[in-house]
Amino acid sequence: MSDEKEKMEVISSPISTADVDHLAERVFQECINMLGGLRRLTYYRNLTWLPSLAEAAYAVVLKGELFKTNREIAKELGISEQTVKNILQADEKEVERFIMGEVEKVDEHKAGGIAKLAYKRVKKEKGIFIKEEELDVLGIAWALIVLVRLKGADFPLDREELKTRLKGTTIKGVPAEEIIEKMKFPVKSPAEVLRQIRELTE
Amino acid sequence: MEREFYELGELEPKAVKLFGISTGTKLDEMFWKVERKGDRFIKKPLGGIPFLSVINITGLPDSGKSVLAEQFAVVQASRDYKILFVTVESPANFLYTSMKAKAEYLGLDFSKVLKNIIVIDASMNDEFRENPKALMDTMAYVIREKHTNNVIIDSITGLYEHKEVMARQIVRVFFNFLKKWKQTGIFISQKRSAQIAESAEAAGGLAVAHIVDGTIVLDKKLITTRWDSNMYRMPVGSVLRTIRIDGCRLTGHDSRTWIFEITPRGTINIISPLEEYISKRAGGSSVE
Repeated sequence: MSDEKEKMEVISSPISTADVDHLAERVFQECINMLGGLRRLTYYRNLTWLPSLAEAAYAVVLKGELFKTNREIAKELGISEQTVKNILQADEKEVERFIMGEVEKVDEHKAGGIAKLAYKRVKKEKGIFIKEEELDVLGIAWALIVLVRLKGADFPLDREELKTRLKGTTIKGVPAEEIIEKMKFPVKSPAEVLRQIRELTE
Repeated sequence: MEREFYELGELEPKAVKLFGISTGTKLDEMFWKVERKGDRFIKKPLGGIPFLSVINITGLPDSGKSVLAEQFAVVQASRDYKILFVTVESPANFLYTSMKAKAEYLGLDFSKVLKNIIVIDASMNDEFRENPKALMDTMAYVIREKHTNNVIIDSITGLYEHKEVMARQIVRVFFNFLKKWKQTGIFISQKRSAQIAESAEAAGGLAVAHIVDGTIVLDKKLITTRWDSNMYRMPVGSVLRTIRIDGCRLTGHDSRTWIFEITPRGTINIISPLEEYISKRAGGSSVE
């Protein structure tokens, strides 16, 4: 091979790959949210809907992201082509009725409609997926830890409640308790907690 | 937030300038714009395919589609414009050999060609062919990092080879992708045996032709009868190659069928319109 040949820039593998699994999981999660959350599904003993929703979430993502044919999707998910067709041709408007409680059972038609709506919502979010080590590099991993600990908290939050939730954590090398002492309370939202912590640790 | 409607006048600053991107062939004179000079309108050659257009080149196997695309790439690269060449059919090392021969024959600086062409080799990697998003992410990376001006996909058909039912969606996303990234593009698309050779139809039906800005059709005719031999003044067994701009929604163009040859070093040489070629040959007696 000549020197010249080595200079020709050839890219032979993708710079990044579409994370279909992650996107399908997000769509599945959004489906559950649209139905009122996992707790509500449990309450009404409707957990049997989950497999249909998972299949539909995958089918919609495989179609929308990878342009797979119905046959390919059916093969990948181990379901029939007709089921894939039903999912992808589902009427999204019908789903609105279902969510309002007018229809009581989820089949592949409704699951498809819910998944299609959920996929649109997820795509519209314009959110980005950042891995834990990437958060570390950006120096904002602490924010994720705080948000995880705040999950389910009732705002406004007082000092003691925040201390309990952040007990044992360190933010930018400083114990959380020390930072909380300097914060102003009550805090109205998770965003305000993050803002105050950022200002106190800069 | 992106607006959903505009008054026509508001689009003036966003309007695309009309000029040509040279292919290094006579095609450059076959696209034109009309300019006003005093109270007359005159046709002015564009000098290439329209800037920021996405042009589809289709034709039978071995009709010269890839040769034309490679010539375009080499000519543009030698002028210091960056090219992203997505090869779906021929592995990258074959592309190297072919481009080197072309550059040498056309008297172009091959070091510039090497510097300015970035190749994505999708021929050897299933992920590129099966996952359009992965390919587009990689293309976006190259466009952003290398500041390319032109993109060639040889062939777009290779991205939906076993699922022509998806042709429309796939062509549409790649077309929109090139528009979004402000690239002048060439898609090569293959014909299927049942399709009429001289039409714009290609694998996936008319999907490609409908979506792109223009289509160039390459064809070849094997001289097999005395009738053909007499008309074209070519010996039986020889090949007559034709090229035609089937349509272009961005600018005016020559709609005649032209004769071309592929030179021994693999370049396209467009000779003359078919009608002139026949009448000239009818006047003389030379047969090649």
